[in-house]
Formats: sequence, structure tokens, C-alpha cells
Amino acid sequence: MNTVVKIENLVKRYGDLIALDHLCLDIYEGEVFGLLGPNGSGKTTTINCLLSLLSYDKGSIQIFGKEMTPVSYDIKKDIGIIMQNVAVFDELTVFENIDYFCGLYITDKAKRKQYVEEAIEFTGLNDFKKFYPKKLSGGLLRRLNIACGIAHKPKLIILDEPTVAVDPQSRNKILEGIQELNRNGTTIIYTSHYMEEIEQICTRIAIMDKGRKIAEGTKDQLKRMIKNTETITTELLELPDNVLSQISALPHVYSADYSGDKLTVCCSGGKHNLIRVLDVLQKNDLSFGRVYTELPTLNDVFLEITGTALRDKED
Amino acid sequence: MLIFKTFFKVLRKHLPVALIFIVAFVMISLNMVKSSNKEKVFEDVKLDVCVFDQDDTPESRKLCEYMSSRYNMVTIENDQNTITDALYYERADFIMTIEKGYAEAIAEENCDGLFTSYHMHPSYAEALVQQFLQEYVKTVRAGIAGGMDIGNAIDLAEETLSQQTEVSYAEYDENADSDFSKGLANYFNYMAYILISVIMSALCPVLLAMDKKDIRYRTSCSGIVSSSYLLQILTAAALFITGIWLVFSIVGIFLSGGMYHGKALLALLNSYVFSITSAAITVFITSFSPSANVVNLMTQVVGLGMSFLCGIFIEQSLLSGGVLAAGRFLPAFWYIRANDMLSGTTAYDSGKFMMCIAIELGFAAAFSLLSLVVRKIKLGQTAVKSSRLSVAENKG
Repeated sequence: MNTVVKIENLVKRYGDLIALDHLCLDIYEGEVFGLLGPNGSGKTTTINCLLSLLSYDKGSIQIFGKEMTPVSYDIKKDIGIIMQNVAVFDELTVFENIDYFCGLYITDKAKRKQYVEEAIEFTGLNDFKKFYPKKLSGGLLRRLNIACGIAHKPKLIILDEPTVAVDPQSRNKILEGIQELNRNGTTIIYTSHYMEEIEQICTRIAIMDKGRKIAEGTKDQLKRMIKNTETITTELLELPDNVLSQISALPHVYSADYSGDKLTVCCSGGKHNLIRVLDVLQKNDLSFGRVYTELPTLNDVFLEITGTALRDKED
Repeated sequence: MLIFKTFFKVLRKHLPVALIFIVAFVMISLNMVKSSNKEKVFEDVKLDVCVFDQDDTPESRKLCEYMSSRYNMVTIENDQNTITDALYYERADFIMTIEKGYAEAIAEENCDGLFTSYHMHPSYAEALVQQFLQEYVKTVRAGIAGGMDIGNAIDLAEETLSQQTEVSYAEYDENADSDFSKGLANYFNYMAYILISVIMSALCPVLLAMDKKDIRYRTSCSGIVSSSYLLQILTAAALFITGIWLVFSIVGIFLSGGMYHGKALLALLNSYVFSITSAAITVFITSFSPSANVVNLMTQVVGLGMSFLCGIFIEQSLLSGGVLAAGRFLPAFWYIRANDMLSGTTAYDSGKFMMCIAIELGFAAAFSLLSLVVRKIKLGQTAVKSSRLSVAENKG
């Protein structure tokens, strides 16, 4: 597999603050690489350094096998960027906006026109070509933002939290679009603090915290890094201590907790864990309500590695 | 040329505001030049006066006769309502009665109760006619006291009071170039206000749009070479200010009725340099990323502020020392000073004229440098602030 992006020992400091702490990343051609982490974990700083918008104190960045510098225009022309904020001109129409941003990369007029039309087609903005951004809904604006970033058919697309403040329907369309771009051979770097999105579309994920990469791999690899393989939750009106002790002693159970009328049992490996837990409850003649079991999430990975839940950090 | 073209596409959306300024300026200039072309700016007007002669003596008739040579005599009925109506509807400015016994009283040096008058109060007509009557009576009495008979004394009074102030037009600008008339000088002076208003109101929003954080970010990530980007923006901005300057210069040709010659060409140079300074001020204001409302406010504050402090609306010779001292720190002051030299308001000195041009260019350079400094500081502050915020959040 060809390495598209190679970051080695990247250090970025702001005075005494370390924004990036010896970050190393390898991103391969054709993958959707997710950068997951809470706000302030260093995702955007990484992207800014990657695009040479920020200077860094130490380390190196290579894109398409070449050193990335602020004047690496030959590299930049193969990169597309889609930001969290909609970056378009209010004074230009949808078509003019896409044409402008595509024109920053493609000088041939005929080719550009074709690319712009294709981007409009891809994002479903056909009926809004002559609309000014102020006349577009939030979802359509996001699509315009994406069209501006992808019109020049880049080999690498960087999406920096593109779904913040987007309604679920538009979010799904955006995610589907990203997957389609990837199927067409584009390498994607996707940063977000929404772990569901990362899980849904990314082939490989790096979890970041305090400027460091704390874990990297496919979602299954990441989940295998932690002890938890299954979490069983049961709604109970009462649970005597001796029953809780019996559950805690079951094979593969490494933690059992009863609070707020809910019994939460964390298991590590093993089969039929749910049946064994329910068997104990039945033997002790305890009636229970809703029972459900969950596989580990990236939040569990983050929680186990950092001791803090990703969601808590966001709050 | 993509950025160059986009500059004008964005500008197109902000031109209506600038057009309002241009149309208003052309209309006002037209009016200004018309009024400055009128040869007669002073007119000797006569008051409408009505006199009721109750004395009906040769002396009183002489007074009436003399007054008719000084005033427009109007005839109305001698009753209270008619008098009130005449004053109210301005058919007469002053109505007076020469009381019975006037001739005797004046001969006996008794000056009380010679006349009764009706007028709108207060009025300049009252002041003027009352002053005339006092002068008239005083002169007659002076003649009588000097041993004249009343007839000769009246002749003396008429002769004395017939002396009039001659009003003539003196050219104050003896050194003025005939190619740079007072009207054209006024036009060029007022052009400073309109240049800065038009350039700021149109250029500011365009630069703000092109420099919007996210758009700038996206542009910086693109394959376009930053020097090419900057060059295209500068070329477009230069073309725009040249265009605006040309429009006003051409309007000036129509208003002055001919092509520019002599010192008018220097005035053209001065106005172009001021356009460049206005553009530099605009770039400086843009570097603070103000909102659209703030841009409008700043346009008015800068435009009107310079106009009042630097002598655009009021001649520099009429401004107080304090205002002039403050004005020296603004480019429009030097623009007007250079124009005043060209129009002959102050003595022309080519060295001093070029110094004014150099100071204007100095202001342009200073504002450009300040914009770079502001941008640099802002960039640094934003990066450190956002980073500190992020790390602080993370620590929290």
C-alpha cells in the first residue's frame, strides 16, 4: 500500500503549551482515515500542520512521498479541504462559488466547467446553480461547501468536522457522499469528535488526546485493545448484595455494578455471558425488566485508555 | 486571472452603495459649478416701504420723494387691518406715517414723534429704515444748526445720504492659473470626500469577502501561488480606484467645459495620489475585519471627519488653529493644501506642492505598513488564543 501521508515525530508548541506531542501517523492510499478525539486534542492543529498553514517545532510531514512546505503547490493541487465552517462567497452564486474554488486548482476552462458540473451533480445542487448562498438551507450550504472542496477531483480530501451542527438527514447524505468519493479511489482524512461517524465510515482510526496519539488501528483492532468485549445492562427494582457478588464471580465478568435500578455487567471475552447473568437472577427469584447487551464502542476504548469518557470531555 | 475576475464579481454586488455617492456627488458638483459661474453674487435690493404723509408740507413731500429714490414705494390703504395684512403677507417691509407738524418740529429742533412706524419685529427692514430716518433728521438738524435754511438743510441731507458703498469683485487669486478656476478647485476639493467614501464603501466589503477567514484558509490550501493571488488582488484594486478616479476626472472635464491644462493637471495628479491613500486607509480598516455596519459607520466617520478637519467642506483659511493642527495628521489636509496652492488661495510653490504629494504618499505607505502589522498581530493572537483554549479545555 502506498503511503499518502507520513507524519513523523510532529511537535507543535505554543509557548509552554504542547499542542502536538511527537505525533506519528501513516495514512495509506484509498483509506478513510479517522482522527478521533475530544475538542482540543490536537486534531485541527494536526490538519493545519499537514496543510502547512501552521509551522511546527519538530518532526516531518510527507504527502505523496514529498516533503510538505508552504510552497509545495504541486502537492496542494491534489488536496481538497472541507472545513467545519462553510467557506463560500455570499456575493457569488452556487455555480460561481464552485467555479472559483475549482479554478484555484484547474486553469483549463473547459475542463473546469466539466468538473464543476460533475461536482454539482455529485452534491445534488443542480436546481440551485444560480442561487446565492443566503438563499440556501443549512443542509444545501454544507453540500455547497463540500462541492467547493471536491470539484477539482483531489487525490486526498481532508474533512475537518464537516457535520457539526448538521441535521441527521443531511449528515447521512454527507457521510454517504464521502464513502462514494472513497469508492472512487480518493483517500480521505476525516476528523470528528462524533465516534459514531468515525465508526461508520473510517477504515482506520487514530484516537488523539492532549496532542498525542493514544491508539491507532481499525475499529475492531481498537476494540480488541481493551478488556471489555460486552456490556450487559439489566433493569432491576432490587438487587441484594449477595446476588451482586455471585454475578461478579461469574467467569469472564470483570466488573458488576448496581446503581439507579440498573445492573451493569462488563465482560471480557467468553460466550453466553448474558445467559449466565440471567440464570443467576432467575435462581435468586429476582424479576427484571429490560435487558440489553452492547458491544464495546470507541468511547469505551477512549475511556479505558485515558480514564475519561470521550463524551465527558466534549461536555 | 481568476481572483482578478472574482474581485470584480464580488465588487459588482457592492457597487450600488458607491453609485449613490457618485450620483450625489455629480449632482452637487453640477450645482456648485453652476453657482460659481454666476457673475453676480451680490445684488443691491430695495425694501418695500409705504409712507402715509399726514403733514403734507413741502418738507414732508421732499422726504417722501427722497425715500422713493431709495426704496420701492408701495401704496396701501391707511387702516389697521390693511397695514397688518400688508406686513404679514410681506407686501411691505416697513410702513410709516409722517406725523402732522413734522416740518415745524424739525425746524424747531424738536425730534420727538416725527414718525410712527409699523413693521414685523425684529426685522432688518426696521433697523435699516429707522437708521436712515435718524441719519436724515440728524443731518437736516445739523444743517439748520449750521445756519442753513430748512430747504438747504434738506438738500444737504439728501446729498450726504446719497453716498453709496461701491461693491466690486476683487480677484483674490491673482496668481491663479486660468486653467484651474475656483469652480474646478471646489470640485477637486470636494472630490477628496467622495473619493474616500466611494473607495471605502465599495472596496472594504470586497476585501473583507476575499479575506474572510475560512475563504482565506481554503485559498491558502489551494494550488495557487500566494504571490500571484496577492498580485491579482492588488491589480484589481488598482484598476478599481483608477476607474473611480477616471470617472470623477471625466465628470470634471464636463463641468469645467474643457480638457485639463496647466495646474489642473497637477490637481489630477494630486487627486490620484489621494485615491491611492484612500485605498491604503481602506486596507488598514479591513485588517480589523469589521462588520458591514461598522464599515458603513467608518466610511462616514473617516469621510466626514476628514472633510471637517482638513478643509474640504470649509476652507482651511476659515478653520481654527486647533482644527488645523489636528488636520495635519490626516492625508486630506495635505491634499487640500496642495489644491489651495494650485487654485491660488495660497501662494504656489512647486517644492511645497511636491512635499504635499510626498506626505500623502507617506500616509499611504504608513497605512499599508500598519495593516501588515495588525494582520501579523491578529494572526499570532488567534493561533495562540485558540491553542491555549484547546489545551485548557483538554486539561479541564
